[in-house]
Amino acid sequence: MKMKSKNMKLNRLIILAIAGLPFAFPALAQDNTATNSTEAAEIQTLKQEIQALDQKVQALEQRHDAEQQAPADISKEQIQTLDQKVRVLERLRENDQDAAAAVAKAQPKISLGAGGFSFSSADSNFVATLHGLVQVDSRTFQHDNHIQGNDGILLRRARPIFSGTVFHDFDFQFTPEFGNGTPGAASAATAPSIYDAFVNYRYSPALQIEAGKFKPPVGLEYLQSDSFMFFNERSLATDLIPGRDLGFELHGDLDGGLLSYAAGIFNGVGDGQRNTSNTAFQNNRELDARLFVQPFKKSKTVALQNLGIGVGGSWGTSSITNTLGLPNTTGGTLAGFYTDGQQQFFAYNPTGGGAVVAHGTHWRLSPQGYYYYGPFGLLGEYVISDQGVENSATLQTANLKNKAWDIAGGWVLTGEDATYTGVTPRHPFDPRNGNWGALQLVARYAELDVDKAAFPIFANPATSASEAHSWSVGLNWYLNKNIRVNTSFSRTTFTGGGGAGTTVPAAVTQHPEDVLFTRVQLSF
Amino acid sequence: MKTFLKILLASTLAISAGAKEIKLLNVSYDPTRELYVQYNAAFAKYWKTKTGDDVVVNQSHGGSGKQAQSVINGLEADVVTLALAYDIDAISQQAKLLPADWQKRLPNNSTPYTSTIVFLVRKGNPKGIKDWDDVVKPGVSVVVPNPKTSGGARWAYLAAYAYALETYGHDDAKAKDFITKLYKNVPVLDSGARGSTITFVDHQIGDVLLAWENEAHLALKEYGADKFEIVTPPLSILAEPPVAVVDKNAKRHGTTEVAKAYLDYLYSDEGQEIAAENFYRPRNEAIAAKYAANFTQLKLVTVDQEFGGWAKAQQTHFADGGVFDQIYAP
Repeated sequence: MKMKSKNMKLNRLIILAIAGLPFAFPALAQDNTATNSTEAAEIQTLKQEIQALDQKVQALEQRHDAEQQAPADISKEQIQTLDQKVRVLERLRENDQDAAAAVAKAQPKISLGAGGFSFSSADSNFVATLHGLVQVDSRTFQHDNHIQGNDGILLRRARPIFSGTVFHDFDFQFTPEFGNGTPGAASAATAPSIYDAFVNYRYSPALQIEAGKFKPPVGLEYLQSDSFMFFNERSLATDLIPGRDLGFELHGDLDGGLLSYAAGIFNGVGDGQRNTSNTAFQNNRELDARLFVQPFKKSKTVALQNLGIGVGGSWGTSSITNTLGLPNTTGGTLAGFYTDGQQQFFAYNPTGGGAVVAHGTHWRLSPQGYYYYGPFGLLGEYVISDQGVENSATLQTANLKNKAWDIAGGWVLTGEDATYTGVTPRHPFDPRNGNWGALQLVARYAELDVDKAAFPIFANPATSASEAHSWSVGLNWYLNKNIRVNTSFSRTTFTGGGGAGTTVPAAVTQHPEDVLFTRVQLSF
Repeated sequence: MKTFLKILLASTLAISAGAKEIKLLNVSYDPTRELYVQYNAAFAKYWKTKTGDDVVVNQSHGGSGKQAQSVINGLEADVVTLALAYDIDAISQQAKLLPADWQKRLPNNSTPYTSTIVFLVRKGNPKGIKDWDDVVKPGVSVVVPNPKTSGGARWAYLAAYAYALETYGHDDAKAKDFITKLYKNVPVLDSGARGSTITFVDHQIGDVLLAWENEAHLALKEYGADKFEIVTPPLSILAEPPVAVVDKNAKRHGTTEVAKAYLDYLYSDEGQEIAAENFYRPRNEAIAAKYAANFTQLKLVTVDQEFGGWAKAQQTHFADGGVFDQIYAP
């Protein structure tokens, strides 16, 4: 542009200089006019030539301008074209990304983490998860009269847990047990069995219906997951609570869990027992129900938010002799009541011999509650079990009112929150980086009092204890969300029993039970 | 104990029933968002007054074809308000969620409002686009969604094709050539009408957007008349977006009554006013006259007249291997 301007100025100067000659030298011009008209004509010719030159210069200038202008126009058009191309490419890329996101959204989801292994359809209407629970225990007894098999290492629980959801609202769970199972049950020691197998329809959180085999809604300690218990074994109070059973249950959480209810019809099982046959053994049914409130769950007072109180209960009748969980007379390894070390201290073993069977009504009532605040946790339960029994030899009957209770507490030394659903370490075990997980100190006291009317017609006072008192202390080490190591000591003392004999329950009640537990647990 | 359980069950059911909220899912096509936001509020008010019940209508939007496929695949729509009847036919035929004669259940073939396809151009109309001939000229960049996924795109395609048929004496080869030229001018095929509006308006791509009339007005309203102009071609197509209750879903949800009422109310004076306010051409003549200034008069051809109905049009032009597949190469 500068070059163009300079050329134009130079041209104009030349033209002006030529055109201005007559004016710059007027005397000369006048002389020439006067003396030579031919010269005047020449001047006129020169003027015309100058005009022609001027026109040529103007034409050149215009041409030059046009030449300068044309590339600029071309560049602008090119830029616009390029700009459109870039915009189109950007938009196509956006659309591709949207399409890819939509495809990804429609793909099934797979996740693996501390919560287990999960497959889910894109819309989450179908979910399948795989969890697991493995507990490797060690029990070391003092003064156990050399009862074979007491001391040792055992696979207490080994459960693959397959659960999920179909069609959005139908949940299911299937839990086989390959471990030691429930002590006292006929199949306890070796046979794998089905612990949970149920379908739950969720109309809403407040209205759900469950059918199959699962935990009946009675005991607080029993309803807590096996992997979250304070101690290796549940307390004496759970000896009076019904275990897993087959039935139908209506349940739900109202107002975000402020009130939970559950009520169901089950086959019915004996105290501390579970249904092992996956079938019914009598025609009658048992009603189980539970109400649990957390009145301050939505309160702004954090200290009260995890206070829960409730009551569970059951009512049923037994009409025929049973062999599948209700008290019977075979004693030894079958029904009765068990210590923390899972030794039988009470059996329905009449002094005069004969069988004892359930007879008539059986009801339970269990007020219960828990409180968790920060690292502190407390859980307690009281149970009355009123069991109708009959000595099949003498046909004598009675309603035995057995009672038990327990209170257990824990303090997480490393400061994490204690909850009904376990402890999550703030710093999972990683010694290379100085992280050691969470430590929890736990303690428990429990009692079980057998109705004195049980002796001697339904149980032998020389061998079966009428009372058991247990205290326990322990230390739980949560390495991470999935791995936990426990150690605890329990001492159980007895009232009654203690007579001669080398078999349970006599061998158990002769001395207080002192047992050291350890456990390595994997749960996911 | 039995009495206790009965009381417990009754209480629970009562609490559940009291807490229940009537919810409807309206699965619709892309540019109806604003229409149904306004209409849903009006209907909820009407229903509350009529029955005392609260009703919440959730909306789902996307390309009409994609939306229909979602319902077929399990999206639990109580009602569908899609861009064209063929998409609802697909739901009826493939998923059996509503009867084949669904279109006879409401007036005007279950189409409470109509629309058409117009041109949205940049202010000053720099490319001088006045009619369909102008959009096929070399160097004119045209924005329109993909007819495979978008109802609006199918209407736009058929409008252009109908123009070509009318112009070239129903010479199909020439019409095909015309539509080929048009799609050669399309740099981006979005999956839905709203996506194309974004391409044209926000990304400033193209010289002309082939748009639903309501969508063009909305762009003008939102972005200002100083940026865009609407050009109504002398000839376009009568677009009839239909509505229907998805019977089986509504029955399962217990919403049949409210779903029917929801669609019936589209034909009410208030429903028609709302449609007109959102630049849909109302069926109600009095309300159409009231809003006549919003809608330029033009020759409107129908799918039945020009293409022998939607089923045939779909098969000929948009099915796999159809005319569109033959003429369009990305």
